[in-house]
Amino acid sequence: MPDNQQLTTAIMVNETTFSEKNTQTNDIKKLPGDLAMWFFILAELTVFAIFFIGFAIAENLNLVMFSEGKAQLHKVAGLINTIALITSSYFVAISVHSMRVNKERQAVFRLLLALISAAIYVVLKLWEYQSLFEQGIDIETNTFFTLYFLITAFHFMHILLGMVILAYMAKNAYQGKYKNPETENEFSGFESGACYWHMVDLLWIILFPLIYII
Amino acid sequence: MMKVWQHYALSWGWLIILTTASVAVGQYFQHATLNSVLFIAIVMLIIALKGQQIIDVFMELKHAPKFWRNIMLAYVIVIPLIITLIYI
Repeated sequence: MPDNQQLTTAIMVNETTFSEKNTQTNDIKKLPGDLAMWFFILAELTVFAIFFIGFAIAENLNLVMFSEGKAQLHKVAGLINTIALITSSYFVAISVHSMRVNKERQAVFRLLLALISAAIYVVLKLWEYQSLFEQGIDIETNTFFTLYFLITAFHFMHILLGMVILAYMAKNAYQGKYKNPETENEFSGFESGACYWHMVDLLWIILFPLIYII
Repeated sequence: MMKVWQHYALSWGWLIILTTASVAVGQYFQHATLNSVLFIAIVMLIIALKGQQIIDVFMELKHAPKFWRNIMLAYVIVIPLIITLIYI
């Protein structure tokens, strides 16, 4: 039978080991969200990279047409849309933090603010399309507008999908389905949704200057 | 000590400043007869800076495994670089 002193020493050694293990676990660099989502994000980024490069090459071949086309776009609407998406991304980022500190209601509120910002983008983009249609401009007008509608509408569909994901995350958070953020699988779904939204924002960050500014 | 939301808010502010700067640069070069390659390079540099903020702060990849952070950062550097080269 071990005496009391031996038992105490054994317990201390075990506690030290546990503490060291915890520290090591915290030091391990963790990828937010599911790995599958990151592969999906890479695939999406690749598709858009082809669009961006294709647009730049087409512009280089038709400088006058693209310059005239860009002059017909509403730069202020593009700027407001950029601010709306950045703001939306900000609210999503702080909602992830709210979830980490177990403040589900705060996270839901922040996700709703993100959705409102995204809705500003949707309304403004639809208004932009409508005003172009009213001028008799559509996807068949010329190469510039074919690429403009193709790229922006494809991105627009990603925005709509992202909004559905954000709404789903808000619903789950409201119902307390992410109650235990320590349960990796539960919370990583929330992080994956957030990362998808940031990717959509990242794409617009490239798309906006390429199509509207330069 | 800075609160977490303040850290994100700083990043948001920086992104807004950079966005406004890229539009302002566009307006300036529209009326000036300056080198268009320089203009494109400035706008592309702004894209890279904004991308880095989104990747490191909003996506929280700053402390993620290097492979994923590097591949994402490479995207916002290489794509603008290719675009710049196309316009030269």
